Parts: sequence; structure tokens; C-alpha cells
Amino acid sequence: MEVAEQPWFAWRGEKGRLDPLAEGREHAVYSDRQLVVTRTSTPPGLLFAGEIDLTNSDAVAKSLASEFPIFGDAHLDVGRLSFCDISGIRALVEAAEALGAGRRLLLHGLPGQLQTVMRVTGWSDLPSLVLCDCQVVQP
Amino acid sequence: MSAQAPVERFRHEALLYSGWAEFVAGTVPFIRGGLEAGEPVLVVESPEKIDLLREALDREADRVLFADMAAVGANPARIIPAWQEFVERNSASGTHLRGVGEPIWKGRTDDELVECQRHESLLNVAFGNGQPWWLLCPYDIEKLDRSVIDEARRSHEFVSQHGNARTSPDFRGIEASGAPFDPPLPAPGTGALQLEFGPDGVAAVRRLAARLAVEAGVDASRAADFTLAVHEVAANSIRHGGGGGRVLAWRQTDRIVCEIQDRGRYMHALADRERPRPDRGAPRGLWLANQLCDLVQIRTFPSGTAVRLHLRIDPRHHLHLVPA
Repeated sequence: MEVAEQPWFAWRGEKGRLDPLAEGREHAVYSDRQLVVTRTSTPPGLLFAGEIDLTNSDAVAKSLASEFPIFGDAHLDVGRLSFCDISGIRALVEAAEALGAGRRLLLHGLPGQLQTVMRVTGWSDLPSLVLCDCQVVQP
Repeated sequence: MSAQAPVERFRHEALLYSGWAEFVAGTVPFIRGGLEAGEPVLVVESPEKIDLLREALDREADRVLFADMAAVGANPARIIPAWQEFVERNSASGTHLRGVGEPIWKGRTDDELVECQRHESLLNVAFGNGQPWWLLCPYDIEKLDRSVIDEARRSHEFVSQHGNARTSPDFRGIEASGAPFDPPLPAPGTGALQLEFGPDGVAAVRRLAARLAVEAGVDASRAADFTLAVHEVAANSIRHGGGGGRVLAWRQTDRIVCEIQDRGRYMHALADRERPRPDRGAPRGLWLANQLCDLVQIRTFPSGTAVRLHLRIDPRHHLHLVPA
């Protein structure tokens, strides 16, 4: 009956395997065992890789607040986010609303499932949070 | 009681019928009465019954809104939000409203039937103290078990048959309609996997759900939906249910099932079916689970809560209404 770590999903923690988030950890503005946040240059913003859930959504909110530009829109590349729960989306929503005064948070590459979740949870109509498929984000 | 007179408060009425003629005789005057009084009318029925009503109503059918119950109510917990939307959209006009909704038909699984019966009771909680509107719920007494009709008499304040509407002496009342729901759940499937989780264990819970979905052959997008739903319910256990709980996961003939148990209690009867408002603090986990899963069973026991989430392996096996 007991389930220990099973091979199918244990790749992340399997001994001897590379850390799938290793790339970028060195220059990360935030990093934990399941998420790495790095800066992007074009447009200036942040790139999220890994998973956001209730264990790190507060930390995500803090890194968003401290890393956003002072003026203009803020850009987030979330194309490498493999999981984001409601607390994570809430952190993005709060960050977008905190920008204020006509500024927007642009999400680049939001996975289809998260678009569904935002629609289902009633968060898809915020003027301050924009889904963008421009594909110009570069590290 | 004339079928034409508008109601002064929410009126939840079961219509007991046998055969298509009685169905038409019970619903068409009700619909016409609403149209004549200028009331918006929404009918949520099987496509076959919708065709029948369109024919009987002739040109008047164009003024009636129709929706397919198999689509709206595949998961019965999605029906109240649909009615809520209908009521809210029309609340500004100040007019009365009418609805016809048949959530229970022969062909519902045993699990679905119980959730439909809970839904019928929760309608009293959702609308019983709100604006006046009239909801008529047809029950096919020829095809449904006697026990189902008995329960309809407990969940509806009024019952009509052969054109006579009466107060149901068995009606359990609004308050009891929202009492904690605790009928026992069927035993988990054989070979269920089991995992205890604490505040740091939610990642293991979602990996278990993902593995169950992928090994059962669920497509990637629905596997992700199921994983998120299971995750959110487990996250609720961590936040509100004593810091953790236990998850059981198994496969049943046509579906995968995860059950999350914890020591918390859902005190709010409509917690899983109130559409979240854009304000950020509102809870969304159970709402999301109902939108992403085919069936969600919530049970509140003195010792804690169990939430069972079902996902059909093949989405093409959508339940369909059995023609009357």
C-alpha cells in the first residue's frame, strides 16, 4: 500500500542525475529545490523555471516585488513553468495589481493549462495582467 | 395554485411524470405561464426533451433559453453555478424567473446519483433566501427507483403530479438542506496506493496523481488538470485541515480516483460551487476541482473531511442522457 519514491516521477530527485534546473541557478535572483528565477535582458524581466506552489509562492511574490522595474510594464517569461498552483497565480495577480497606474504585467509563454486555470478561477479579465505570445524574450 | 401566477419567493418544485405526454403536460403550461408574465425562462434538459418542448411550444420556443443537462450537469456540482448565472444576469431587471431542470435520469451512476441528490438539497441553500424565482425539476417516476422519488419529496418544498401541486410534508427545510453531508463513500478500489503527507509533502501528492493519470492513459492536458485539482485539495488540507492528510489513489474501470482525507471540516455547504469573485482572497481550490474533474464527492464527518476526485480516462465517454 505504501508509495515511496517511484521511478516514473523520481527523476527530479534521482541520485546521480543532473539538476534539471541547474542552468541558471548560479545567476538566480531566487532559487529553491523546485524553482529558479533569473533575469532576462530583452525585454528586461524575469524568467521562471520549475514549479510554484504553496511552499514557495510567498518567496515568488517577494522576488517579484523587489525585481520589477520602477517604470513601465513588467515582463515575466513563464514558458518553463512546469507547475503553478492557485497560490502561485495569486502571487502573479497581486504583483500585477501592485504595479498600479496603468502599468501592466506581461506573461510570456503561459502554458495552456495555466491559461485555463486563470479563466476558471476568474482571473483572466484583469487589465493589469496580460498574456503575451510575442516570443521575444531572451535570457 | 395556478401555474401562471408568479411566485413571491424561491419555489423549488418536483414534477413527477410518467411518459412523454405527462412530461409535456407538466412543463409546457409552466413555461407558457412564465412567457406570458414576461419572465425569462431557462430549460436545462436532454436534447430529446428539448426537441419535444420546441415542438410543443412552437414559435414561443424562440423566447425560451435551452441548455443540455448532459453538458451543464455532467458534474452535478456545476449546475448551481449555472442557475446562479441565470439569476444574476436577470436580477437587475427585477422580473421573476422560471427554470426547468432535470438533473437525475436513469443512467446516472450510483455515485453521480448521490451527488445529484445533494445538489437538489443545496439548491434550497443557494436560493432559498434570495430573490423569487421558480424552479421545476421533472422526475421520471416510471424509470427512477422509488427511493429516488422519496428523496425528491425531501429535497423539494413542493411536489406536483397530474397538474396538482402540493407542499411536500417530507421537505427537510433550508437549514437541514445544508447540513454536513456524510453518507459513506463506497470502498476504495482494490490495490489503492496510499500516501501520508505533511506541510512539505504536497509535491509528492501531485506526483502520485500525475503518475496515476499517465499510467491510466489519460491525455497530457487532462492529466495536468487532474494533478492540479488533487494538488489544490491537498493544499487545502495543509492550510485548513491540520497541516496535512492522506491521499488514496486508484483506478476504476473507466476512471481514475484520488481521495484526500484530513482532519478539517468544510463548514460552508456551498464552498465548492460558489463562483470565485476576482478579489484575491477568495478560496478557489474546490471550485477549480469541480471545473476540472468529472465528479467530486465531499464528505464531512465528525473526525474530518474526505474529498474524492474522479476523472474519466477517455473523455469521449461523456455521459449522455438516456432518451425517455
